[in-house]
Amino acid sequence: MKQYRTHLLVCAGTGCVAAGSFEIKKTLEKEIKKLKLHKEIAVISTGCNGFCERGPIVVVQPDGIFYQRLKKEDIPYLVEEHLLKGRPVKKLMYIPPAEETPIPKMSDIGFFKHQRLIVLKNRGRIDPENIDEYIAFDGYKALEKALTKMTPQDIIKEIKNAGLRGRGGAGFPTGLKWELCQKSYGDIKYVVCNADEGDPGAFMDRSVLEADPHAVLEGMTIGAIAIGAKEGYIYVRTEYPLALKRLEIAIKQANEYGLLGANILGTGFDFTIKVARGAGAFVSGEETSLLAAIEGRIGVPKQRPPFPVQKGLWKKPTNINNVETWANVPQIILRGAKWFSEMGTEGSKGTKIFSLVGKINNTGLVEVPMGISLKEVIYEIGGGIPKNKKFKAVQTGGPSGGCIPKKLLGLPIDYESLKEVGSMMGSGGMIIMDEDTCMVDVAKYFMNFLRDESCGKCLSCREGTQRMWEILDKITKGQGTPEDLAVLEELAVAVRDASMCGLGQTAANPVLSTLQYFKDEYIAHIKFKKCPAVVCKEIISSPCQHTCPIDTEAPQYIAYIAKGQFRKAYEIILKDNPLLGVCSRVCHHPCETKCRAGQGGDPISIRALKRFAVEHGNGKHIQKKKRKPTGAKVAIIGSGPSGLIAGFYLAQRRYSPTVFEAQTIAGGMLALGIPGYRLPREVLKKDIERIVNHGVEINTNQKLGRDFTIQNLLNKGYKAIYIAIGAHKSIKLAIPNEDAEGVIPSMEFLTRFHLGKKMKVGKVVAVVGGGNSAVDAARTAHRLPEVSKVIILYRRTRAEMPAYKEEVDSALEEGIDIQFLTTPTRVLTKNNQVIGVECVRMKLGDIDDTGRRRPIPIKNSEFIIKIDTLIQAISEQPDVSCLGANHKFRVSGWNTIEVDPESLVTNVPGVFAGGDVIRGPSTVIEAMADGKKAAEAIAKYLQGEESRFTYEVTRPSVYVEPVRLEIEETLELTKQETRRLRPEERKNNFREVDLGLDKRSAMIEAKRCLRCDLEVKKEDEKKEKI
Amino acid sequence: MISFKLNGLEVQIQEGTTILEACRFYGIEIPTLCYNEGLSPYGGCRLCLVEIGTGDKAKLVSSCTYPVEEGLVVRTNTKRVISARKMMIELLLSICPSSKTIQDLASKYHVTKVRFRVKHEDCVLCGLCVRMCKEQMQSGAIGFVERGYKKKIMTPFNIKSDVCRLCGGCIYICPACQLRCQGPDAQTDICNACLSLEPSCINTHEDYQCWMATTGDCGTCEGRPDQVKKKDNR
Repeated sequence: MKQYRTHLLVCAGTGCVAAGSFEIKKTLEKEIKKLKLHKEIAVISTGCNGFCERGPIVVVQPDGIFYQRLKKEDIPYLVEEHLLKGRPVKKLMYIPPAEETPIPKMSDIGFFKHQRLIVLKNRGRIDPENIDEYIAFDGYKALEKALTKMTPQDIIKEIKNAGLRGRGGAGFPTGLKWELCQKSYGDIKYVVCNADEGDPGAFMDRSVLEADPHAVLEGMTIGAIAIGAKEGYIYVRTEYPLALKRLEIAIKQANEYGLLGANILGTGFDFTIKVARGAGAFVSGEETSLLAAIEGRIGVPKQRPPFPVQKGLWKKPTNINNVETWANVPQIILRGAKWFSEMGTEGSKGTKIFSLVGKINNTGLVEVPMGISLKEVIYEIGGGIPKNKKFKAVQTGGPSGGCIPKKLLGLPIDYESLKEVGSMMGSGGMIIMDEDTCMVDVAKYFMNFLRDESCGKCLSCREGTQRMWEILDKITKGQGTPEDLAVLEELAVAVRDASMCGLGQTAANPVLSTLQYFKDEYIAHIKFKKCPAVVCKEIISSPCQHTCPIDTEAPQYIAYIAKGQFRKAYEIILKDNPLLGVCSRVCHHPCETKCRAGQGGDPISIRALKRFAVEHGNGKHIQKKKRKPTGAKVAIIGSGPSGLIAGFYLAQRRYSPTVFEAQTIAGGMLALGIPGYRLPREVLKKDIERIVNHGVEINTNQKLGRDFTIQNLLNKGYKAIYIAIGAHKSIKLAIPNEDAEGVIPSMEFLTRFHLGKKMKVGKVVAVVGGGNSAVDAARTAHRLPEVSKVIILYRRTRAEMPAYKEEVDSALEEGIDIQFLTTPTRVLTKNNQVIGVECVRMKLGDIDDTGRRRPIPIKNSEFIIKIDTLIQAISEQPDVSCLGANHKFRVSGWNTIEVDPESLVTNVPGVFAGGDVIRGPSTVIEAMADGKKAAEAIAKYLQGEESRFTYEVTRPSVYVEPVRLEIEETLELTKQETRRLRPEERKNNFREVDLGLDKRSAMIEAKRCLRCDLEVKKEDEKKEKI
Repeated sequence: MISFKLNGLEVQIQEGTTILEACRFYGIEIPTLCYNEGLSPYGGCRLCLVEIGTGDKAKLVSSCTYPVEEGLVVRTNTKRVISARKMMIELLLSICPSSKTIQDLASKYHVTKVRFRVKHEDCVLCGLCVRMCKEQMQSGAIGFVERGYKKKIMTPFNIKSDVCRLCGGCIYICPACQLRCQGPDAQTDICNACLSLEPSCINTHEDYQCWMATTGDCGTCEGRPDQVKKKDNR
């Protein structure tokens, strides 16, 4: 036999073939021949490796080196470096997401490390089109044992003791099924292999057939011995041409070797296998339909009893099992029931193959022991969710399964536990969903699949799936009513109970499980006309407008800018936002995170375009003369964004709002927290002027608790009160000596600075925290002339830092040192003055049940930093002490005031609250949205109306004709970056860092907009052509 | 003889009997639509559901197709059965509200609302016509085509059949073809009339009119002058 020093195993599963692995193989062979290494190195095509995300894959044995994502151009270098010079090529190796070091060996890679290969033991290792390779790895030894050393009863007993359960989905005990079939009366019996695999997202059976078809043939032959069958059928779906090809080759070779057909191994036992092809029906995966299809009849399920083991194919006893079940059999016979039953849980023995697909980093096929937790599969093996998005649900079991939410991630995977939570094992498909997946849309998708695939016999399934789809469709279009949910649930239960076969009986699962765990999403669609994942087109119109808490019509002003109509752009923004100057500088732009252009490209710089419109569109705008208020008096406590907006909209409704501000200047966090290099004070001043001119009175130096109380206000004739006092009490670190001189809470630091009050700040400043107030404090301190160094101490990693990415980037640009995975443990003082801080290094520990790694301190890694000032910025809370000792409000454990979520009213009638005081530290735009909502609620209250709100789907208020572009023009449109001050120019001053877009860049950026709003018809077809 | 438990009673029946036949034998009423004594059972309408088994393993099966087994526990009117039955009737109404058979079922089982979009089709895919043509008339001119919500009954490739003898058996047996007294284009989706003892003909006549001589007042036999007696000749 030829001996090679190295084998190159080229993955030739369907995924890698589609990515070009046949080309890779040819190129490898060519290059190896060129370097005259073809007598020492063999190149073999193997079946699927399972790590389909990283194809084309080549594994070098015996080194065990794993190469991935190979391109034809890489091969010459690879051959020369690794195979000739013995230097493995690092840049072609696997690097885990969010890390930097490559992992050379396959056995060290998380994806492979945690798997336990039984059924897939030969994958990526043998050439499936060569029976000798299967035999070399103990192939057909089990058959020999079964034929020569065991009786049929022995075989059945072994399978029973092993605890093997059907891997097709229902999990019926295999040994028991074989026994029932064996006991059935009749001399003609059949064994059948179900390779229909209809579940969308499932490809494990395909993988087994493509990588190791002999395992199935051997298993079926052993089954035939046990049951007493002479003929077998493998029903393969027509959509698997490669599997069909490999099966045909395997059957032919097995026949040639006397391992199949007449007189197997000379023992006189006859058994032939034929292959039958499917014709594109999901329902034909159901056993009675499948048998009907093999017989040439239409694939429609039949009532059982009689079961196939009694009356199956052509009314003879038939044992039908799934591909994976059959592939387990040779191993069990060879290595024994005891070995098999040691893996898995009490009720579910052995391993299971799962196809890990959807929003997951390591898409592919994994085989794991039963009882492993979902969390381990998704994070350790799957590598977590791409782009750091939040996990939302995992759908198991295909369209017959259910969705499992985040809180159940610790669930061990076995037949019973999955059923208990409303899902099922099914074929083993695992579809991972993240925050951008709409669960209502998911239910609709599966219902669409099921109504298409229903055979149509049972009224319940045929009509039921159709009607459930209709209701879900209605809901995703924003036309759902609360009654729809009740009907949907009732109908789902009826379909489940009344249908005859598994398709109908499980058709309700996607609906029932999403209703159980994600009801809030349904309610968001029906009541609030919102799609939280921003998916359902008819509800969202354009994702940017839908996501904006104040419904800003971004596509419209962007379209106006693209057409050069800057004035109109300005007016459209102003219509919904009196604080437009402020937002154009500091809004955290949730719109950009959902921008469609950002999916697979660069999101539109929506905020920068807003700023452009504010600066260039506000030409001859005349500030309105100051209005005279006429209506009822309303008191607003707090002149931050929430209070200002509430005041504006109350004034618009002709009420008389008065704002009481505790500090000497108005603006709240906008004036006291956000530094001038982010929000120039002239911009803020202009916006506040606009609000005051609209009829809002602002009284500064009026602090709640010190200068007035809530009761005072009511006594003075204010008919309603809006509390918007924010959350600016910094939380303590809870470390020793925190009260020393030189330790300042970040909110106090920023407020004092912006009020012009004197503060003692030393040369070296450390800021503890990772949020925006930490970075604001750090960048402000860095600009002070007395400060020479600023260090931020954050206990987690860069990827987890909550501060806006642009802020963190700017801080690093300006020379601020950020120590990640670092926590302070003690403040060091001398004469009660800060002189240093002791810190400990952290490392990320195991994944907890929410999918995050908790940081844990590394022992003996403490070190000291010499500092003069320490700023606490880990988080803030509202300061509710100003409400008085006897206040009647309900306050949460985080010191936030509790309010009704729709009307923002507290438990005291006439008193409302919004902004950070109800949310904890949050964002400017959300505070503004609260203010707007509160104004509406207060107006209703003052008019004695019931506090009932109507909601509508998102639509633009005006139709702006899109800009016409030539193809060459669209190709030239690339993302435009704003101009920024260079770090040197920012030293010791508070000049605005972001300089915005110029006219040319703004128009190019605006033209990149995909105009998602044009895809959806306006509600009332009223169009204003511009 | 097989012994089994029927609504709490220990009873016996011959082997090979279906649960539905056994219930009929013992006088227990079970609604059906796609069942006909003279044709093979189909199990498509899901009205004849009964609950078998106990505890966790209890499930609903169509009694017309399920053969009685030794020791089987059958209950015909459990909560699950009743709510499933009512939903089936509601679904039938939403497909074909012009059928008297279906309206009677609704009246009898107190289904008072249809919460789905009404389709106004003229076929509920019960398959009686297919079985009538094949089994009784020995012809087999029509059959089921396509699957799921696209399923239809027609001749192969929708061309004129050369085995159809125009016997009319399919029309005779069709439950959708038995129109309600308000005719095929009635204004309401549910009438809840005859079997609820509130038919409209009683407003103008002394007797129920569907089995008396037709007078044309209900509008069903409009256009058939030989069937209409003049009003004063009543």
